[in-house]
Amino acid sequence: MPEYHIVGKSKQRLEGFEKVTGELRFTDDLKFPGMLNAKVFRSTVPHGSVVQIETGEALQVPGVVAILTARDIPGRNGVGIIVKDEPVLIENRIRRIGDPLALVAAHSQAAADSAISKIRSEIKELAAVFTPKDALAESAPQLHEKGNMLFHRKIRKGNIEEALAKADVVIENTYETPFVEHAAMEPEASIACRDNDSITVWASTQNPHFDRGEVATVLGLDQNRVRIVQQATGGGFGGKLDISTQCHAALLAWYTRYPVKLVYTREESFIASGKRHPYVINYLTAADRKGKLLGIKAEIFADTGAYASYGPGVVTRAAVHATGPYHVPHVHVDAYAVYTNNPYCGAMRGFGVPQVGFAHETQMDILGEKLGLGPWEIRSMNFLSPGMTTATSQMLEQSVGMGETLERVKQRVTDKKC
Amino acid sequence: MSNMGGVGVKKRGWGIGCMWYGIGNTALANPSGAFIDLLNDGTVILLTGCADIGQGSSTVLAQIAAEVLGVELEKIRVISGDTGVTPEGGATSASRQTYISGNAVKAAALQAQKPLLEKASILLKVPVGELVCRDYKIFPRFDPEHSVALQEMIIHCRREGKMTLGHGWFNPVTTGLDEETGKGVPYATYAFATQWAEVEVDTETGEVTVLQLVAAHDVGHAINPQSVEGQIEGGCAMGQGYALMEELVVDRGAIRNPGFSNYLIPTMEDIPHIETIIVEAEEASGPFGAKGVGEPPLIPTAPAILNAVSNALGIRFTRLPLTPEAMLTALQEVGKGEVKKTK
Repeated sequence: MPEYHIVGKSKQRLEGFEKVTGELRFTDDLKFPGMLNAKVFRSTVPHGSVVQIETGEALQVPGVVAILTARDIPGRNGVGIIVKDEPVLIENRIRRIGDPLALVAAHSQAAADSAISKIRSEIKELAAVFTPKDALAESAPQLHEKGNMLFHRKIRKGNIEEALAKADVVIENTYETPFVEHAAMEPEASIACRDNDSITVWASTQNPHFDRGEVATVLGLDQNRVRIVQQATGGGFGGKLDISTQCHAALLAWYTRYPVKLVYTREESFIASGKRHPYVINYLTAADRKGKLLGIKAEIFADTGAYASYGPGVVTRAAVHATGPYHVPHVHVDAYAVYTNNPYCGAMRGFGVPQVGFAHETQMDILGEKLGLGPWEIRSMNFLSPGMTTATSQMLEQSVGMGETLERVKQRVTDKKC
Repeated sequence: MSNMGGVGVKKRGWGIGCMWYGIGNTALANPSGAFIDLLNDGTVILLTGCADIGQGSSTVLAQIAAEVLGVELEKIRVISGDTGVTPEGGATSASRQTYISGNAVKAAALQAQKPLLEKASILLKVPVGELVCRDYKIFPRFDPEHSVALQEMIIHCRREGKMTLGHGWFNPVTTGLDEETGKGVPYATYAFATQWAEVEVDTETGEVTVLQLVAAHDVGHAINPQSVEGQIEGGCAMGQGYALMEELVVDRGAIRNPGFSNYLIPTMEDIPHIETIIVEAEEASGPFGAKGVGEPPLIPTAPAILNAVSNALGIRFTRLPLTPEAMLTALQEVGKGEVKKTK
């Protein structure tokens, strides 16, 4: 009798047929009677303070039902996965291009778009910072109450000075990685419907239960009055963990009592959503002449942009993984998430590790070259196995397939060459 | 192997990249819950907070429930990500849903099944621990011929007023990290991988063509191997974009390329043949030995490609992405002797 009968089998996707035929309904495919369309009025300056937002002319556009600003928020005007530092609508301080200033709901998308073009804002521009280095300078404008240093994660194992003293070879380089867009096939989308004292939001999301808490707090409702239904979702890659359209659609539906749909255009998705953090990594690898790693020292600066999002989590994961899948007796890592007036950065597939992966794998190759060892050899001498400890001094006991992945790829590549 | 097979201005090379990745949120509690209702016609409703965003979690969770309950996959109806009816599953992130929600579903299914096994144990005179549920039958592990029908056991239970409902939840065993040293257990388990890339560099245009990729991933026991392959292939494509194409140009806070006409991501024209190898170092605490695979595949791809380019040219690159423009600049600097060749 085989051990399992369904687990381990390549079963077809439950929703595969509907996906292939196009019958599966995403949020934008849903329609409700009387449904309004919405649009967000956004900042075009990276840093500033709001003097005035004039909506009078926009309200005259035929078909416009409501225009909301920060003072219309009944609950808390702040959302965020780790720190609630991102206003739902800006009341005073703008911290990035794309910050939301006002919401429009109208009987057609054209009317909503037209009203947006008639909103006038008076903004006093402020000096801005665009790199972690500039943001950490003494004279830099401070973007949040606690300053521009959002988070610092330290990893210390052994004594890095000892590794450097013993090392036969030291490799030191600086690595730089870019902002990256998630580019999920489906842009951000929500439809909200109010039913007396409760509200339902159909959303394209990676975490409906988080959304529930945020919508409830923003509307000032108990959580059990808010229902989030995750509609079929066309990808996320981390970009649909933050609040995007959920609270805005819910606010408009709450005020107008109409169902309200808010779907980003592709351009709006680029401008308004979180990104992969750009890093600057100063990375030092110390090894003995045989190629055994002795120590790794890394300093990681992540530009977290205007708001925290998952920033502290991203740099923590980067710090923990900075050594790569290798046994390193001496580790000294500092990872910093720094606020700037750039687009905010948060979770993106790999969560801070692709950046450090680029650094540690390039370092391993260079180390091998210095010692006359090939890419396979230098890694084979150092990979993590059961019984070894990680950078956080965690002992790995079981399920450590690192060596097997290396061996299997090497075997496959060797076979190909035959 | 370097520089072999290069014709004229085109140079070939190969490189590898390795990675590890902790499954679940870092050093934080991140539980998931699930409900199972085994109905009296033998069909099942599975309620999970886990958002399937295209990665295939609903199918994998249904497979886990079907395996435990001994019913066909088609009999499982998954209702997911609806806060009105489903318990919290936590975020679809951190490559965590198969491991964490999978364990929650398994626990819920075992609880729903418990009264059926107790009834069958009495009828078959076999301890509960020796019974197996499969193909709508309950039978002793070492005596499959001696069985009772699952459906009959459900009817027996209903007559006795017993519901076949289950709830379950799981939270991975982790600790916080010390503030000064980072010491601790941030994850209960880790995924591992090695990828190999072969590239061809056109030194005249600066373009890098990825010729082939081989990707071996330790995912624990693969619940749905084809789904794992899909994740690996998709991740490799994303990693290729990270290596060679994708750069959001941000100038004084403004995104200069907010659209697909000038923010380029790989298409089928760019993506090479990707050979996947599933390595199954089973995780003792995972559902049927599973870990996770959502994020790991894109991590080693960029370094494998960049190492391959270096192997082809003898130049090291420390900045992503390596666009044709960046490549040509680097080649010009080598020509001027400004960049030291590494080999």
